[in-house]
Amino acid sequence: MKPFCLTVTGDYACFTRPELKTERLSYDVITPSAARAIFEAVFWKPSIRWRIQKIDVLRPIRWISVRRNEVASVVPYGNVKSAMKSGTGTLGIYIEEDRQQRAGRFLRDVAYRLYATLEVVPGQPGAEDGPGKYYAMFERRAKQGQTFNQPYLGCREFSACVAWADPDDPAQEAPISESRDFGLMLYDMDFSHPQRPPRFFNAQMVQGVIKVPAWESEEVRG
Amino acid sequence: MILHALYEYYQRLAADPESGIAPEGFERKEIPFLILLDAEGNFRDLQDVREGIGRNLRAKRYLVPKDCGRTSGVRANLLWDNPKYVLAYAEKPSDQEKANLCHRAFLARFEECFSDMRQTHTGLGALGRFLEKQSFDAILSHPLWREVVKSKGNLTFQLDSDYRPIAEDAAIQARVREKTQDLSEKSERSICLISGKPAPLALLHPAIKGVAGGQISGCFIVSFNFAAARSYGKESGDNAPVSQSVAFAYTTALNYLLQKGSRHKLQVADMTMVFWAEKQEPIEDFLFDLFVENKDDPTRNSEAIRALYSSPWRGSLSVDEDDATRFYVLGLAPNASRISIRFWEVTTVSGLVERLKEHFNDIKICHGPKMSDFLPLNSLIRSVAVQGKLDHVAPNHAADMTRAVFSGAPYPLVFLQEALTRTRAEQDVPYWRAALIKACVNRFIRSEAHSTEKELTVSLDETNDNIGYCLGRLFAVLEKIQEESHPGINATIRDRYYGSASSTPVVAFSPLMRMKNHHLAKLENRGRVVNFERLLARIMEYISDFPSTLSLHDQGRFAIGYYHQRQAFFSKSSEASQSQAEPVSV
Repeated sequence: MKPFCLTVTGDYACFTRPELKTERLSYDVITPSAARAIFEAVFWKPSIRWRIQKIDVLRPIRWISVRRNEVASVVPYGNVKSAMKSGTGTLGIYIEEDRQQRAGRFLRDVAYRLYATLEVVPGQPGAEDGPGKYYAMFERRAKQGQTFNQPYLGCREFSACVAWADPDDPAQEAPISESRDFGLMLYDMDFSHPQRPPRFFNAQMVQGVIKVPAWESEEVRG
Repeated sequence: MILHALYEYYQRLAADPESGIAPEGFERKEIPFLILLDAEGNFRDLQDVREGIGRNLRAKRYLVPKDCGRTSGVRANLLWDNPKYVLAYAEKPSDQEKANLCHRAFLARFEECFSDMRQTHTGLGALGRFLEKQSFDAILSHPLWREVVKSKGNLTFQLDSDYRPIAEDAAIQARVREKTQDLSEKSERSICLISGKPAPLALLHPAIKGVAGGQISGCFIVSFNFAAARSYGKESGDNAPVSQSVAFAYTTALNYLLQKGSRHKLQVADMTMVFWAEKQEPIEDFLFDLFVENKDDPTRNSEAIRALYSSPWRGSLSVDEDDATRFYVLGLAPNASRISIRFWEVTTVSGLVERLKEHFNDIKICHGPKMSDFLPLNSLIRSVAVQGKLDHVAPNHAADMTRAVFSGAPYPLVFLQEALTRTRAEQDVPYWRAALIKACVNRFIRSEAHSTEKELTVSLDETNDNIGYCLGRLFAVLEKIQEESHPGINATIRDRYYGSASSTPVVAFSPLMRMKNHHLAKLENRGRVVNFERLLARIMEYISDFPSTLSLHDQGRFAIGYYHQRQAFFSKSSEASQSQAEPVSV
């Protein structure tokens, strides 16, 4: 099965490094988890799973610094529970009263070509139909520009333009001619585990192309 | 990547015995006072180990077991601490109870770590006996004691027969290391995102000190100090799995770079910058001299620049032409108790040399003999600020500028804009601003593909036919004519017309050209008039028409044309009449 391919572009992006996420600093390129979320925005059901294969970096890596006020807290879990029980309660947060100034180093003017394969999860409803149906659904949705939610580049506020791409198209944009070692990069969270531990892989860009190892492979640590 | 590079830097320093970097579990701490004991554990003396003059006393730094990172509550350090912990000293009688509690914690920490070594080790034996006696009156009545209280400094112990504190003894250090390792072996392990190896995670990272504007007690690069910074219900350090030893290593390395008097640190406006190379390189040392003005020894600065140009591939700054050793530049700025990364640039040593040369080429401009050749980065940035104060530079601008220097990108357009705004407001082009404008214009020209524009030169370029440049020169000539026809005049045409001449030439130059005729008529020296008219004619050759407006970059060229022409007047007249020293204003 040849992978599906999407071209995503955006004015800004922030693929936050976990260690520097309070004062945000982005990874240099899109992470596999962010790429997965873009495919899921186009098409997802419980019976399918996206696996990122490869990322082409189409534009040079550029940066911008932004300082802004953000909400400092999250709605407390306890409040939600008691509101559920009693049927009433206040869950609102007022940004003016509860904020933090945060600095961010974001990416500017990004474009990637993402390659991913679609896999059917056995045992889920709809899995017995086989993958063909889902391939067709994804292709139709992606070509028409349909999405379930607005695809975004790392943070919700950085929306992405997503376009269907044919990996065999000879006229497509070439990746940048740059090679870099990004070191350990977040692959994704292990959602099958109750604690959701993060998993990492060694990200290397060779002539603008990042090969993403398989989720189960030994290269993925965590 | 940043933490990883710092972690590697720590390993490089740890392998070098001369670096003096603290091994794991230790830190170099400023300890202003030593308590001297004899081998029996009797108090001998109190010693002040601060150095310096007047108020600027600096304590000596000793290698001691790492700070326990006390924020509130009672936690004692090992072998050193403040008087409350070490001697149960309370400034007010009401605090005595708390002080006793602290002191007991100090004792407990000591006993826990060294109880079995007290018999065999002289220093520990003496200290143990001293602490057992619990009679500290001799110290509290020592003449130096008031200084101790005033300095709020820490205390540690030393045998009066020894030359270094007990804590620096090798056997004791080995024990402390053992204890730290024991602790880490027992704890739970997860994968560390820096080293990639399973290890016990650091929940709280050590503080970073020395970032200008940050909290004195230190700031954090990795912290999760409010709820919205956490994810997936994880607490503090679990949000970003970093092992304890890596957390220690990267913070120690960064604190080492940031320490007082570090030659790896630059202060650029509100940003603190540190830099280091993957392995020992002479450029690490040169960079400091290239950017930081050395007031005591200005030759160091010019020497560094000379070395950069005079065959950097050989000579004192020996760098291989294809030296691919990685070089890191990290810009930090405080944000309350946190530190944010303003910029992060990874380059190679040879690439860095090229970029530095490019930068110094771009900012090089002719100037009066009293001005230094050396242009620190801060002076360039300051030249666009109101009243020339660095405080008035918008945040981020310093970082953008520095990034341009280290990445070879065009200088931020906002600097050109602000430089021209300042020039119009002050009606003057000082040396630093001229250098900045020239650099902005030249880099812009180079960044434009297929640009046919000429780059600006170091001094007057009579062949430059750019309209902005020529109008700038023309303006300088007109001003000079006025000055010579009205010696001692208070306000010249520059004070009234600079702004409009540089932005809307057609409005300004028609009255100026008329005025010029009157000024020339007043000049008594007819030869001078002929000279001026020749010069005007040479410039006017390039000007077919006065444009109604000038673009931003042409306004920049106007400023440089004006500056160059003025400099040319001064240098020529000083050559002509060397005895008559002309005041050179730049």
